[in-house]
Amino acid sequence: MKRFVLVLMVLAMVAPLFAVGEKEVSGKVTLRVLHYADATTPGYSVEKKIWDDFRAANPDIELVYEELFNEPFHQKVEAYAAAGKLPDVMYMWPSGRSSTLYNKKLIKDLSPLLASTKGKYLPTTVVPQMGSIIGELPLTITNSHMVYLNTKLLAQLGLSEPKTYADLVAMVPVAKAAGIEVVLMAAKDDWVMQSCLFSMISGRVAGDKFIDDVLAGKAKFTDKPFVDALTVVANMVKDGVMPKNVLQISYGEGPALFAAGKCLMYIDGDWRAGAFITDPTTGKALISPTDQKNVKLTVFPAIPGEKISGSSSTIVGTGFGMNANIKSGSKEEAAAWKLISYMTSPAVAKQRLETGAFGRASWIGVTSDKLEPIQQANAAFSAAAGSYVLDGVLDAKVYTPINIGLQEIVLGIKTPAQVAADTQKAFEDWKANK
Amino acid sequence: MKSHTRPDERLRAYFLLVLPAVTIYFAVIAFPTIFSITLSLTDYSGGIVFGDRADWSFVGFKHYFRMFRDQYFWIAFKNNIWIMLMSLFIQIPLGFTLAYTIFRKLIVGREFFQTIIYMPTIISCIVVAVLWQTFFSPYGPITDFMRLFNPLWENNLANDPNLAILPVLFVMVWYYTGMYLIIFLANLQKIDSQILEAAQIDGANERQMLFNIILPALSGVVVVTAILAISGSLKSFDLIFAMTSGNPARRTSVLALYMYDNAFKGSPDYPLANAISTFMVAVSFALILVTKKLENRFGGKE
Repeated sequence: MKRFVLVLMVLAMVAPLFAVGEKEVSGKVTLRVLHYADATTPGYSVEKKIWDDFRAANPDIELVYEELFNEPFHQKVEAYAAAGKLPDVMYMWPSGRSSTLYNKKLIKDLSPLLASTKGKYLPTTVVPQMGSIIGELPLTITNSHMVYLNTKLLAQLGLSEPKTYADLVAMVPVAKAAGIEVVLMAAKDDWVMQSCLFSMISGRVAGDKFIDDVLAGKAKFTDKPFVDALTVVANMVKDGVMPKNVLQISYGEGPALFAAGKCLMYIDGDWRAGAFITDPTTGKALISPTDQKNVKLTVFPAIPGEKISGSSSTIVGTGFGMNANIKSGSKEEAAAWKLISYMTSPAVAKQRLETGAFGRASWIGVTSDKLEPIQQANAAFSAAAGSYVLDGVLDAKVYTPINIGLQEIVLGIKTPAQVAADTQKAFEDWKANK
Repeated sequence: MKSHTRPDERLRAYFLLVLPAVTIYFAVIAFPTIFSITLSLTDYSGGIVFGDRADWSFVGFKHYFRMFRDQYFWIAFKNNIWIMLMSLFIQIPLGFTLAYTIFRKLIVGREFFQTIIYMPTIISCIVVAVLWQTFFSPYGPITDFMRLFNPLWENNLANDPNLAILPVLFVMVWYYTGMYLIIFLANLQKIDSQILEAAQIDGANERQMLFNIILPALSGVVVVTAILAISGSLKSFDLIFAMTSGNPARRTSVLALYMYDNAFKGSPDYPLANAISTFMVAVSFALILVTKKLENRFGGKE
């Protein structure tokens, strides 16, 4: 009996080894995938379907799938990169937030693989990214700054769309009397104010050439243009245009506050349009399609001293990249490319467009008749010009002091000049250690 | 009883029995600690650590100097001190007072209160953080409640850099006091009831019994709770991470969060992160030693 039990136990331990062997013999390719997805957005079920469709259409590719959202995603990527256990295919940014992947050359240049898709993608999306390679195939082109304007509320208060910063200031007493704010943003996480507001201000007041000059050592963050840009944020708080307590609003809370009519203008990225539309699983929307017609998508009004008008901060969108360890010409590379190109394909892009994940697909000509009004507005939105998103052009060691500094300016514990000095010092330290 | 084993056999048996524990200790505690201290003295920036292709060199205490020069390190350290003081002088005394009140039957419905006070500790930390974050939000229940009395009341609780940590401290008291209550209650119940009854017959009042019998008997437990409070305070992370992420402007950050930000946010800075963790361990050891010395000097015998 004892021998029988022993044999059974040994068989139980050895059986999985045979199972693995069988999988390898069948030629099935296994890909580890790390995706960035917010399970609370209305389009999440569609997102899941996109992945399920790929699995169903490609039984020869097994996906070991993992998904995270917001900071935990970035932290996991850093941990994987440090441990040398990066997934085969991963969601990526074209620069800043994924700078480790580019700097340490952990991802493959997709340019050779893209040769076969010439003319299918918007030319502005398939351009060199950080490190002069195409590290990820962008799903879209992104406006990191967008103003969601409640035109109905504006009319109810007898106000009209602000054209200049002075118009905004003039709206403050009226809005306060109604118990609402002129501008709100969900700036509890420190990246939000830099990415969704200050990058646009910096682009208009200081200009991209100034940032290029700083990086080339021809200018300093402590120079007047950059300090002036920071001063705009300080003035917004001082003038009552934006309350200090935006720093207490978590990123998930922001759209609900705008939908509840707590402010006239809500500032976020264009991707946030997807938070307002109908959830296909529940049939409920944060703002109903009828009421979405009362939301205008626009950009911040003219700022005193700005060099360009009506601009937003823009960056090539996020997408999927491939682990540099995957050998060229291998079946793993073929499978990974199949997945990456599938994610930008017209069929998938159309579904993502319908969920509001983005406003404009990287694949030329993708559209849908199922879009809700706010999505149509997003698809039609075009800023007069685009400027750098700072965390897309600066290293994290340099933009982190800007992120924290903007919060310090809002709290009133540092002046724009002090934050500019902190940023310059961080830049010099980074340059010295580079 | 005379042993029938030879000395060399005993030695072999000793090593055989001790080896698994030593191996596990070395793998789980000693090696990571030594490795972390070593990394803090290098310029390692990810990649291969061992072998010919390893790409790092020793840079001395450079990262410790960087850490001490960084204003956000001192803000985080100050917040850790606040949390430690709150744990030592609010959570432990409050936990003891509640346990004493229940033990001495000074209130009715003891089991109800015991359950209610302990309940927060069994809720997930993230749930607690989100719950209180919503509660303290400028558009949350606390604002609505206060505006019932003053319609113009502004919720600027977290907008004062010096007070932003207060809501976090409040939640910590709410969350962890139940743990100290249970520790004290369990140990109070171990005190021989005959001693207390004898003291009562001899005419001792409640105050005398507390200071002359109960507290001296619990001095060891007080030290244990103090050690738990100190080490727990220095490694505070999850609740704050979920509740504030250390913001606004890192004013609610703590050392563990400061370390995490440097290790995993933006460009990872592993040497600096390891210097911070080494500092945390050193401070924790020093404070626990001070606590033990104080107990030896002033503590009673159980």
